[in-house]
Amino acid sequence: MVAPLYTTASGLLFHAGKILVVTVGLPARGKTHISRALERYLRWTGVKTQVVSLGDYRRKILGGAQKLPPDYFTLVGEKSPETVALRKRISDGCEQLIWDFFNSGGQVVIYDANNGTRERRQALAEKFDKEGIHVIMLESLCDNEEIILSNIRSVKISSPDYRGWDPEKAVQDYYGRIRDHEAHYEPVEETDWPYIRIVNVGEKIMVNRIHGYLQSRIVFFLMNIHNRFRTIYFARSGQSLIEHSYKADSDLSPPGWEYAERLKEFVLDRRAKALQQRGVDIEDRRLVVWTSARRRSHHSAWPFLNLTENDKVKLPRVKVVEKPQMSEINPGVWDGLSPDQVRKFYPDEWERFVRDPYAYRAPRAESYHDLCVRLEPTLIELEREQEDLLIIGHASVIRCMLAYLIGLPASEIPAIEVARGDLIEVVPTSYGVHSQAYHFWDGPGRSQNGGGVGKDEHNFYENYAEDTQGKRRPQTAEAVDAIPS
Amino acid sequence: MDPTTLTTGDLAHVDDALEDAQQSKDLLSVQPPPAMFGAGGPMLKQFDQSSAASRMASQAATPPRSVVGIGNKVAKPDYSEAKIVLAMVGLPARGKSYLSNKLMRYLKWLEYSVKVFNVGQLRRSRARQKAQQSGQREDHTAQYFSHDNVEATRLRDQLATDSLEMLIQWLHDGGNVGIHDATNSTRSRRAKIEERVSKEKGFVTIFLESVCDDPAIIAANVALKVSYGDPDYKDMSREEAKQDFLRRIREYEAVYETITEPHLSYLRIINVGNQVTVCRINGYLQSRIAFYLMNLHLKPRSIFFSRHGESQYNVEGKIGGDSSLSERGSHYARALPALITDNIGDAPLTVWTSTLQRTIQTVQHLPYNKLTWKSLDELDAGVCDGMTYEEIEQAYPEDFANRDEDKFNYRYRGGESYRDVVVRLEPVIMELERQENILIIGHQAILRCLYAYFHNLPHADLPYIKIPLHTVIKLTPKAYGCDEERYTLPIGAVDTHRPKPGTVQPKVPVFAGREYFNEE
Repeated sequence: MVAPLYTTASGLLFHAGKILVVTVGLPARGKTHISRALERYLRWTGVKTQVVSLGDYRRKILGGAQKLPPDYFTLVGEKSPETVALRKRISDGCEQLIWDFFNSGGQVVIYDANNGTRERRQALAEKFDKEGIHVIMLESLCDNEEIILSNIRSVKISSPDYRGWDPEKAVQDYYGRIRDHEAHYEPVEETDWPYIRIVNVGEKIMVNRIHGYLQSRIVFFLMNIHNRFRTIYFARSGQSLIEHSYKADSDLSPPGWEYAERLKEFVLDRRAKALQQRGVDIEDRRLVVWTSARRRSHHSAWPFLNLTENDKVKLPRVKVVEKPQMSEINPGVWDGLSPDQVRKFYPDEWERFVRDPYAYRAPRAESYHDLCVRLEPTLIELEREQEDLLIIGHASVIRCMLAYLIGLPASEIPAIEVARGDLIEVVPTSYGVHSQAYHFWDGPGRSQNGGGVGKDEHNFYENYAEDTQGKRRPQTAEAVDAIPS
Repeated sequence: MDPTTLTTGDLAHVDDALEDAQQSKDLLSVQPPPAMFGAGGPMLKQFDQSSAASRMASQAATPPRSVVGIGNKVAKPDYSEAKIVLAMVGLPARGKSYLSNKLMRYLKWLEYSVKVFNVGQLRRSRARQKAQQSGQREDHTAQYFSHDNVEATRLRDQLATDSLEMLIQWLHDGGNVGIHDATNSTRSRRAKIEERVSKEKGFVTIFLESVCDDPAIIAANVALKVSYGDPDYKDMSREEAKQDFLRRIREYEAVYETITEPHLSYLRIINVGNQVTVCRINGYLQSRIAFYLMNLHLKPRSIFFSRHGESQYNVEGKIGGDSSLSERGSHYARALPALITDNIGDAPLTVWTSTLQRTIQTVQHLPYNKLTWKSLDELDAGVCDGMTYEEIEQAYPEDFANRDEDKFNYRYRGGESYRDVVVRLEPVIMELERQENILIIGHQAILRCLYAYFHNLPHADLPYIKIPLHTVIKLTPKAYGCDEERYTLPIGAVDTHRPKPGTVQPKVPVFAGREYFNEE
């Protein structure tokens, strides 16, 4: 539901002005997870966003917890003046980073820190509000012990602060840190500042005094994210009778049908193995399959609709949903033409396309940017989905979705390689995602000659990948800047 | 010598140059090949006939139906899992019915099945029945609404419970969202609703509280209530009615408890969109409802719609394409600014167009801020793009008749259906709710969908709405609907409207008053 990008006179988007989101919460409440997810989403919609993390900054300037004076984290009792000066230096440094970002054209900053005392929040908010920056408090509360414990185990004890510690001792020490903070924690009650309170990472949300377009989009996004572990699989549809005709909407070819069968087996197999590893019963979790409204995509999911008892895995629950918004990028007048033909008949347009494949719109066609705008509601639904998800789509659509999940910049989207016969598995990790490609099929449709690298010479969107730098194979790519704190 | 006149010498020079150019054709831009799989050519039919063999290799038990010809009908999306009871909360004259009607309009446009159960209507119809049967007229003045009046309170509780029962029954029968339009102002009443709904498996309750502290808005609402033919005040003078209504409000105020229960799912809207509180809203439809309500506002504004000026393809009778304006279309583009400035004077205006040339050319003389939206592009006719209706009929006669019967569900092959257009226009509607004065230059299918949203027309009628060329439609959102005015410029244009075969053109009800249902 994103409007097309338009920058106002100030260079910012959507008349939203500058926004500072201040996270509030005890340690291990999921503040960083939420900040990173929000940053990824806002960046993807084109808003210049940055997360400024107090913990990261402290580690960068002062090093790990071993190098800190012992009373750095205690809030009870007096701290020595050196420690106080040290803490002030860190928080001033962070604030300076925020100012720098705003002054260089940034629009949204998410200040990721505990900010547990009312006085601290008030001072911070007033400082920025004076300059006309909208301040929003984003509080993350958690009363579910399991979530806190899993947060600590997955993120905290592997941080540089605890290098070389015994894991159990690290957990206890961290609990101690939390207790110290708890003593002085004041939940957000002040009603003069806009605030968003998230409980148990998305279970409940309370919102106060949020006006403005970008702010309401932020709230809508936060209403839809969750912390539950689930896997997303991406696969292309099988080979069709007529490759690369948008209008003909052709059906699968015979090898395409084989591909669909093989895809079903591979996905169910892979999923069963993964669930077994994590100790989850396959009966509990459903597999949801999203296809586009194109014949070849929907028919690639056909074997899932006809699961019989003969399948070697226990019959999983599968649901297939057709989403017309996920159709591939519209090639406009270039429909059905090979790259050579395009170069011959539309030389000027081809030039401009090669220079900026992300934003260039061929006559009657969509650009990748239009595709991203079109896919935005689908991405929100993807965030909402709590079950395992298999997306059988088209190469252009998978590129945009992968770029969103991994956090790639927009200019790299056209160059992402998505070969037919590869299953891409995306798994959420602490502050981002982990993606891996599994090769499962090698028949016709993978490339014109059969076998070899999965590139299709007749599809110029694929071929174009040859010309750019920055080809990305979706392998173990963590999100950018994922430093667990 | 006047430099703008051409001499015969110049003309001869140009003539020679043209002749040269025609002979050496490859210097001119090469003609691009026509669309390979357009319905006008033979390739599509050949392909359809040849694809019969493709499904042999499939092991699927029943091979799926493939699309042939120019398109086929597509089923409605399945929303049977969504069962929501939306209970309104608030004092009288706080805009509860306004919000519930707006929400109903939005959700219906998205093809959810929505119904408003207004307790006030139920009260009136029961009283009428009683009056007819026993000749007794109940007194529904402010006295009736006082909590000290034990008998009346019991009756009113009974009404609310009965409404809720009807709502739940309706949800069981296939509805998606039932809106319980009543004051529901006490904690106990809300607890009763919550309890009753929790007995139904899969049903969710949300409370929507409308709070208003702006005296101007309240006064306007009260005036609306007493002047628009509210049956409660049929026999009273306006002044008496107003006094009685204010007394009624005071009775409710005495017992009003705003929502603070932490376990309830609720939305609190203050001064319609000024501030919103969202609590415990999970679920896809709920979050969309919340997002929609956050984007509403009450500022008076006008929405202008117009199609692009007549285009070359319109003149030739072709559909789709990206042609320029014809002579008459350019004339329209030149006349448009005068029409708009006459209407809104100095007020600011935003202009939205699609990415197709004909709309961009139509707005080129307007002095306002312009934005192009890809989502406002015309319905994609897929394989039929660039053909005339006659050509399509000749090539695929049964398909053609099929589409005219039920345009809303019919999806062109390689293209879209009206339903797909509605889905892609949803973000546009969201943006429209947030905007103030706005002018949209769109295409026939697009404007039909937007128009149907504002006038709450059913989907079956949507594809047959008349949106003629060279006409500006002005919609002014009012309390319970939209006021409409049409300004047709006296510039001729072709008529591109195709009515549904065998039926009468649906009439648009242009009535911005509140409908008091079941008043016989």
